[in-house]
Amino acid sequence: MALLELLANGLVFSSIIVLASIGLSLVYSIADFANFAHGDTMAVGAYAALLAFGVIGGVGPTVLALPVGFFLSLAVGGAVAALVAVITHVLVYEPLEVDSIGLLITSIGVAFVYRAIIQLRFGSNPVEFGIPLQRPIDALVPLGIRITVHEIAIVASAAILVVGLHLLLQYTDLGRKMRATADNPSLARVAGIRTRRIEWWTWIIGAGLAGVGGGFLGLYNQLSPRMGFDILLVVFAAVILGGIGSVYGAMAGGLLIGVINQLMPAISNVAVALPLVPNVGPAYADTVAFLIMVAVLLVRPSGIAGGETT
Amino acid sequence: MTVLELDGVDAGYGDVQVLDSLSMALDTDEIICLIGPNGAGKSTVLKTVFGLLEPWAGSVRFRGEEIGGLAPETIVREGIGYVPQTENVFGSLTIEENLRMGGVARDDDLESVIDGLYDRFPVLDEKRRAKAATLSGGQRQLLAFARALMMEPEVLLIDEPSAGLAPNTADDVFADVRAVNEGGTAILMVEQNAHKGLDISDRGYVLDQGTVAYDGDADALLDNPEVSRLYLGG
Repeated sequence: MALLELLANGLVFSSIIVLASIGLSLVYSIADFANFAHGDTMAVGAYAALLAFGVIGGVGPTVLALPVGFFLSLAVGGAVAALVAVITHVLVYEPLEVDSIGLLITSIGVAFVYRAIIQLRFGSNPVEFGIPLQRPIDALVPLGIRITVHEIAIVASAAILVVGLHLLLQYTDLGRKMRATADNPSLARVAGIRTRRIEWWTWIIGAGLAGVGGGFLGLYNQLSPRMGFDILLVVFAAVILGGIGSVYGAMAGGLLIGVINQLMPAISNVAVALPLVPNVGPAYADTVAFLIMVAVLLVRPSGIAGGETT
Repeated sequence: MTVLELDGVDAGYGDVQVLDSLSMALDTDEIICLIGPNGAGKSTVLKTVFGLLEPWAGSVRFRGEEIGGLAPETIVREGIGYVPQTENVFGSLTIEENLRMGGVARDDDLESVIDGLYDRFPVLDEKRRAKAATLSGGQRQLLAFARALMMEPEVLLIDEPSAGLAPNTADDVFADVRAVNEGGTAILMVEQNAHKGLDISDRGYVLDQGTVAYDGDADALLDNPEVSRLYLGG
């Protein structure tokens, strides 16, 4: 396969990983724990989008071979994921007087609950949105890039959301308060910031983006109850690589890990040419992504963004 | 006129009592310095006033109204500011953003308040787009004061303004404390460097084991042989 095509595919996969990484890192920076339910929050968003798509369906004109109704359904998916996350925060995490390890373990339990509910309603078999698959864009095929209009929609939507988040963080009052609270929560309270509200907004934004990312993952592959959990480790690798707690690091880490993940066939071709290296196939994509994460952390222990918060 | 008053306050951390029936009063426009050995409860006084600790007993009154046990977010809106000893600026935010964060509880236009502070402290104006983490120790302390002044508080609580600073820089910071006070803000300050702290203060309280051992005019405390021998290092 041509390198360009792998890079293009990498960019698509990265877009989904980036959307998921942002939320994981945001929640870490403000709620101060590694949320293992984040992957299943993606699944919640994906299935909510599926339900919404069943109702609104092919409403409206078509944008990038997707009905406007699909984008509306994704928004519903993001909103439901945000709502579920805030409710979980208020009912489960907030009342618990435990440290960040306690919260981490609690979030594993929360992940099981989300997944069980999805499985009860939708079964464990993969399902699809039922949007007709697209052929690769003809004009790009001669360049060796086989990418569909749907995949362009994923990359473009993720880019819009990332730019939107950047503008929010840098230029709005809420964004500055989120950065201040992530930087130093006790000083934020001293300054008069109502940090409890900021925590809510963090969950809403982080889970909302994860929910939308889940919807795109469902379009890119299929929907299954384990869909989010299955990529959670890759998302963690991206977040740790970027510097956990840093939103911009998560964006960079997500991009890098996603591309590396999809470049695996090319990497394995190179590796086979070297003596004594076994033929590592694409099945080892996650392993290689983690190896690269470890290698980067050996050089920069606090990740790409180097301890910068948000 | 008394603006802040503690009356028979007990407070502490977990099961450990630190303040023991402590009483003191701060008048409008004055600087009070709290001195005393480590563990005497100096910082605990500030934390209790600002709602970071809840008083176990007794009363904390601001302008005659009980504020004991209110949350810091509420107290800052009442008109009391607090400058913690360490990590008292948002390092990853710019100077200007730090000031904005100091004014989150204001409803009016922040720009004029920020401009007023830039006029008072020109060094902050020069660096308004720089990240707070890039400031020197003295500049950081000044930014921490300015952040708290965004609310135009009647009372400013300052925890060890000279901690970790070189002697020259500490002198500058004490001058800044005076400048803040001359702007019309009453100051309750904790200071390890008792001599310099009392030098710029109107009155002082010597705390020992969570209660007031001595109090009086700053000059009188500096001249008091007992205080000098026990608490000022001879």
